[in-house]
Amino acid sequence: MIAEFTWLIPFIPMMCFLMIGIFGRKTPEKGGYIAIAGALLSFLIALAISIEYLGSDEFANGIAIESSIRWFEIGDYTLNLGYYVDGLTCVMMLFSSFISTLIFIYSIGYMHDQGERKNRYYAEVSLFLTGMLGLIVSSNFLELFIFWEVMGLCSYLLIGFWSFRHDNGDEASANAASAAKKAFLVTRMGDVCLMGGLFIFLNLFHSLDYSAMFESVEAVAAANPGLFTLALCLMFGGVIGKSAQFPLHDWLPDAMAGPTTVSSLIHAATMVKAGVYLVARGFPLYVQDVNVMLFVAIIGGITAFIAATMALNNMNIKKVLAYSTISQLGYMILSLGAGGYLWALGYEELGALGFFAGCFHMMNHAFFKALLFMGSGSVIHGCGTEDMRLMGGLFKKMKITATTMLFGCLAIAGIPIFSGFWSKDLVIDTAMNAFNNGADGAAIWFLILWLLAVITAFMTAFYMFRMWFMTFMGEPRENAQHCHGESPKTMTTPLIILAGFALVSGLFMFFGLTDMLAFEGEAIDGVEHGIELFTNPFTYMTIILAILGIGIAYMMYVKKTMDPGKFNKNGESWLYIALTKRWWFPDLYNQISWKLGYGVAKGVNYIDRQIVDGTVNGLSSAVVGGGDVMSKVQTGHVQDYSSVVLFGVSVLSVLILVTFALLGGF
Amino acid sequence: MIPMEYFLILAAILFVIGAYGVLTKSNAIVVLMCIELMLNAANINFVTFAAFNYDIAGQAFVIMSISVAAAEVAVGIAILLNAYKLRKTTELDDAKLTSMRW
Repeated sequence: MIAEFTWLIPFIPMMCFLMIGIFGRKTPEKGGYIAIAGALLSFLIALAISIEYLGSDEFANGIAIESSIRWFEIGDYTLNLGYYVDGLTCVMMLFSSFISTLIFIYSIGYMHDQGERKNRYYAEVSLFLTGMLGLIVSSNFLELFIFWEVMGLCSYLLIGFWSFRHDNGDEASANAASAAKKAFLVTRMGDVCLMGGLFIFLNLFHSLDYSAMFESVEAVAAANPGLFTLALCLMFGGVIGKSAQFPLHDWLPDAMAGPTTVSSLIHAATMVKAGVYLVARGFPLYVQDVNVMLFVAIIGGITAFIAATMALNNMNIKKVLAYSTISQLGYMILSLGAGGYLWALGYEELGALGFFAGCFHMMNHAFFKALLFMGSGSVIHGCGTEDMRLMGGLFKKMKITATTMLFGCLAIAGIPIFSGFWSKDLVIDTAMNAFNNGADGAAIWFLILWLLAVITAFMTAFYMFRMWFMTFMGEPRENAQHCHGESPKTMTTPLIILAGFALVSGLFMFFGLTDMLAFEGEAIDGVEHGIELFTNPFTYMTIILAILGIGIAYMMYVKKTMDPGKFNKNGESWLYIALTKRWWFPDLYNQISWKLGYGVAKGVNYIDRQIVDGTVNGLSSAVVGGGDVMSKVQTGHVQDYSSVVLFGVSVLSVLILVTFALLGGF
Repeated sequence: MIPMEYFLILAAILFVIGAYGVLTKSNAIVVLMCIELMLNAANINFVTFAAFNYDIAGQAFVIMSISVAAAEVAVGIAILLNAYKLRKTTELDDAKLTSMRW
């Protein structure tokens, strides 16, 4: 039973973190090779465990391998530490550790000229990986929350990695420190919600173990529907923060201030995937409440749409990718929401399809988004800017990067055979199913969400190819002219591997992935649904829309037959301004934090200074004043003291004499 | 034989003289001497009762008391000498000495 060693998966990167932190400076690449070795070892162990689990009877019967030790007990609340391996865990830990390994290899090339700071970088990414893998294999929500917070800390440290370049005028990294703070604080809001949700769950279930909760969930949900719904919503609040969903999505574009490898890590393998994973992991809880699932789906759909609009006119290659990540995360959440909605209504097969589509898209997205980010890192490495207006015509100079990124763009745009096509169309399919089968009031919502998802698919194809054409085609502009050619092999090799996955990972659904991502034993038939996609007219519609998007991008940015200035009135239409202002979300955040946050802070400050401090200060000054007054008794004249003593003794003597006399003498 | 009362009255007179001196004299050395008077009044009482009760314990106490008194005077004089060195006075109600209180 190699599954007994599941705890090693997060433990190895943690040891790497300590080793790199303690003596990484003395090793070549300042600990980079240790980080790679750790991630690779974790991947191999995860692979061995997955192979064993997939061959076991437990997998055949759809149950998880689980083991826990008791951590502590408060009354009859038991909290454990342990591991929990099922199909979802296997998929997650495989792609997380695999992609992290590739990113670490890529970092050797990308971070090569960072000198001593590399040591810090490799230590932090190892800890980051610890957080993600620990979160995946943990056996209860408390353990998950601990690793969740570890990742929050690491994202803060890594996004702020370049905070020392604070004022060099480079727009993208000018304010790494404030981006890090923003990421930390915004996700913190979600984390507080998640913690509140877990408190309620602990109260309701008396345990946070997955197995214990999933067993008794129906009875508990029926007994306390109000509290249960509240806890689910709070838990989803954590997802909104971590997975950058509307309205807390705005930290993710700012997080681009970190090194590109970190963006790749955050967007593909770790961090934002944790939120989606939490929904998938807590799916048995979520499906108890139809309305929460509808809410989840709505948030996902809105996020997908809004983020895609903001990517349309962004000039920063990394920010376009950041918005596309938010948009794709919206797809995953939408799919899980719609699937859970269907499941809750009793359509078990369609519900399982939604669950599968969400997790499947998460996996595919991990591959192509890691590829796209690392490709953009390669471009940035080559021409030293993130502004696409200064690039162009790089195809001739960076053939490998350009080709692999083209694969990534085709995957995310949803062109058939490439991975994104399969999962995205299943997501859109799920929204349609929810519309067809939903209850009266809610069904219309799913029609809107379906429309948003389809429009988003069109926009995705457009902005991804806008990015690709602006970067690699056309005239070489300012920075592209002195680009020094292709990146080193350490950077291109991971790109090639990932391009392969972007091409084929969608086909995994025909080879048993559907069994791994089954929900409560309800596995969908991958082959059947794969074929069904091609009999569905809507699929052709999305393909045509995607090709249309690519075509428009081609005409605008390569052929120049269509002038983008005509649509945005040369950057003066209100829509264009709204998009560059990110729909005023940063302003809204600022307003809220200034008006509300600062107002509350002022009130609290007043209470603290005037009332709390006032009480304490008043007490102490009363004591000091009283002491001052009483100290005047100390005249300093010895005779005064001794006369008081003598007086006291005399009084005592007289008292004693009188007492004795009254009591009847000596 | 001299009656016991005589001794006790002598001791009482000595004690009161001492107490009066402690409370009224302003010179610290005189105050110390008065304290010795009060101590010795107590010593006389001890010896008196020892003699009249045929009990040697009282005399032993007196020896003890005298040695303690000697030590106490040594400390007192040492403090006074230091105070004198610093403040150039031994007058108890002099502001230079009373300012040592707080």
